Amino acid sequence: MNIQEFLSIFISSVFIYNVILSRFLGLCPFVAISKDTKQAAAMSAAVTFVITASSAVTWIIYRFLLLPFNLTYLRTLAFVLVIAALVQLIEMIIRKTSPVLYRAFGIYLTLITTNCAVLGAAVLNIDMFFIGGKAVAGSFYYSVFQGICMGLGYTLAMLLMSGIRERLELCNVPKALKDFPLAFIIASILSLSFMGFSGFKP
Amino acid sequence: MTNNFSVSGSPHIHKQGSISRIMWTVVISLIPAGIAGIIIFGWDTLWITLAAVVAAVLTELIFGILTKKKVTVLDGSAVITGVLLAFNLPSGVPLWLPVVGAVFSIAIGKQVFGGIGQNIFNPALVGRVFLMASWPKYMTTFTAPFKFDAITSATPLAALKAGRVLEHISYLDLFLGKHGGCIGEVCILALLIGAALLFIKGYISWHIPITYILTTAVFVYIFGGNKLFGGDWLFHILSGGLILGAFFMATDYVATPLTAKGQLIFGVGCGLLTAVIRIWGGYPEGVSYAILMMNAATPLIGRYTKCRIYGSR
Amino acid sequence: MKNLIKEFTKGIIKENPTFVLALGLCPTLAVSVSVANAIGMGLAATFVLLGSSIIISWVRNFIPAKIRIPCFIVIIATFVTVTELCLKAYSPVLDRALGIYVPLIVVNCIVLGRAEAFACKNNLSRSFLDGLGMGDGFTLALVLISAIREFLGSGQLLGHTLIEGFEPVFVFGMPSGALLVIGLLLGFFNFLKNKKI
Repeated sequence: MNIQEFLSIFISSVFIYNVILSRFLGLCPFVAISKDTKQAAAMSAAVTFVITASSAVTWIIYRFLLLPFNLTYLRTLAFVLVIAALVQLIEMIIRKTSPVLYRAFGIYLTLITTNCAVLGAAVLNIDMFFIGGKAVAGSFYYSVFQGICMGLGYTLAMLLMSGIRERLELCNVPKALKDFPLAFIIASILSLSFMGFSGFKP
Repeated sequence: MTNNFSVSGSPHIHKQGSISRIMWTVVISLIPAGIAGIIIFGWDTLWITLAAVVAAVLTELIFGILTKKKVTVLDGSAVITGVLLAFNLPSGVPLWLPVVGAVFSIAIGKQVFGGIGQNIFNPALVGRVFLMASWPKYMTTFTAPFKFDAITSATPLAALKAGRVLEHISYLDLFLGKHGGCIGEVCILALLIGAALLFIKGYISWHIPITYILTTAVFVYIFGGNKLFGGDWLFHILSGGLILGAFFMATDYVATPLTAKGQLIFGVGCGLLTAVIRIWGGYPEGVSYAILMMNAATPLIGRYTKCRIYGSR
Repeated sequence: MKNLIKEFTKGIIKENPTFVLALGLCPTLAVSVSVANAIGMGLAATFVLLGSSIIISWVRNFIPAKIRIPCFIVIIATFVTVTELCLKAYSPVLDRALGIYVPLIVVNCIVLGRAEAFACKNNLSRSFLDGLGMGDGFTLALVLISAIREFLGSGQLLGHTLIEGFEPVFVFGMPSGALLVIGLLLGFFNFLKNKKI
């Protein structure tokens, strides 16, 4: 477990392999919800929270349940169910403890169940930090940290996108390109810009 | 008729000149750098610049006709995009490269957003990063200065990144542009002359360029050397596309914040990103990417640095 | 009979999941680097879509409404797991190329979306045709996008060089190029749609 690894995870998850702009996970809400900064912020916060929690839980399940009993082929099924249950649980907890918070991002939580980013993060963690069927040293911390960073990368892309799209409301965009097509073109330019960080060597 | 009215968020800036006058002055201010490019790299500079400009203007013309809006080619903004794009290219590129780049700059970097005044990103830089991603070999093959028969050489920044130091290169050489690089970025002297013109006319303000360059210098000084506080900041200021970028591209009216505070944030952001990429990134130069990333952040910056109006919190 | 045919063809043009409904974009962009991968993903997704549509439609009257989403997920996940295992066994190359996007089929908006919007409300034959049509529409969209990207990005199609001396435009093999292609294609189809009206 070393600082280099954490820094490397941070840079690659947030910038180089940004979960939306590079891995294309979580695109559906990205183009649908990114028109308003407040909504985008709420969605991103919810996603970050769920990704982090699910990274932790899925790691534990994989390490202590699936691996020892040779059930790794059930990974997809198990992870999806775990994530769905987790989201339900989080939703219930938030509704009980903080109605304000629930009103802020309650509806988005349900959408997150099918958000590729959450399942994708869980699967990526396993692929990256379990080598040859064994957990790499410190892989739990790496997995959780990668979850947080993917959430941060998600937030960055969403916020940038929503700021841009809000401003574009005032511009006369060609009709055929309004909304989705332009959102993708903007994402394309953002993705090009983020490439500036490739080959990063801390 | 409706193009005489522009709806945009406040604050609105009034300047003496019309858009055309400003744009064409910028073109004039870039001429010294162009001449320097021709002296240092030969007539290829001229052909590349012309190719880019013609392609940019034609693209803008075609869009104007297709979208049935007023044709805006005469306002000089397409010309600037073409010139700036060309200045960001090495002198050895085949002529179709600036043409494709210019078309991309105007079409994707500007027109899809609605045309002039509405682009989020600096169009020339959009074209440049597109070219860089698409044909990296052409974009990173530089010819040596004054040797017009294409002997390749590395740029000072590329040499630095690879751990070698270019021999026989003094600060004066860097200042005058006697080294490999993109045709419009190498001659600092010529660029500063042009920038001075823009300052005198009041078309650019000091906020962005000075904060940008200063931030890069400070950061590079602290972290860019072999030990802390040992970085060669003067080398970094005089190398690569920093001067060209800071004075001519980071100051794009449309793609940068309007308020002074916003501009300072923008400048610092650009400086930080440029320095970080130069020191630790895979690419030797980060100016294009830094400016584009800050362009993307500009709407958000604008949100949080609004001027106080009566009754605001 | 005509109605049934329409169920099938709507998935290909009128309600094409990628270009009209804008669903399932995550894997579309990721695997469309080469036509071979695109076909592989398209077939895998169609298999899952078809299988889950059939089963869900078959048992639709036995699933209590409150827990239907988790039930759908279990059914879909089963088919995805089967697909995953088959790929690993019979085509490891394709499996490696598609990577994490195979298990992600389970949260592919197209699959869950059709289950929720159609399969649980319609009879077996209609659901079968709907699943087949949507899957084919998805595959066709994938092939179109990947053909453009592969040709521009590497000068080849399915591994064969088409034009000698063509300088590949590398950006199309990258995420940025993918986003650009789909943005422009969506814009193009929007343009066509607007003209028709």
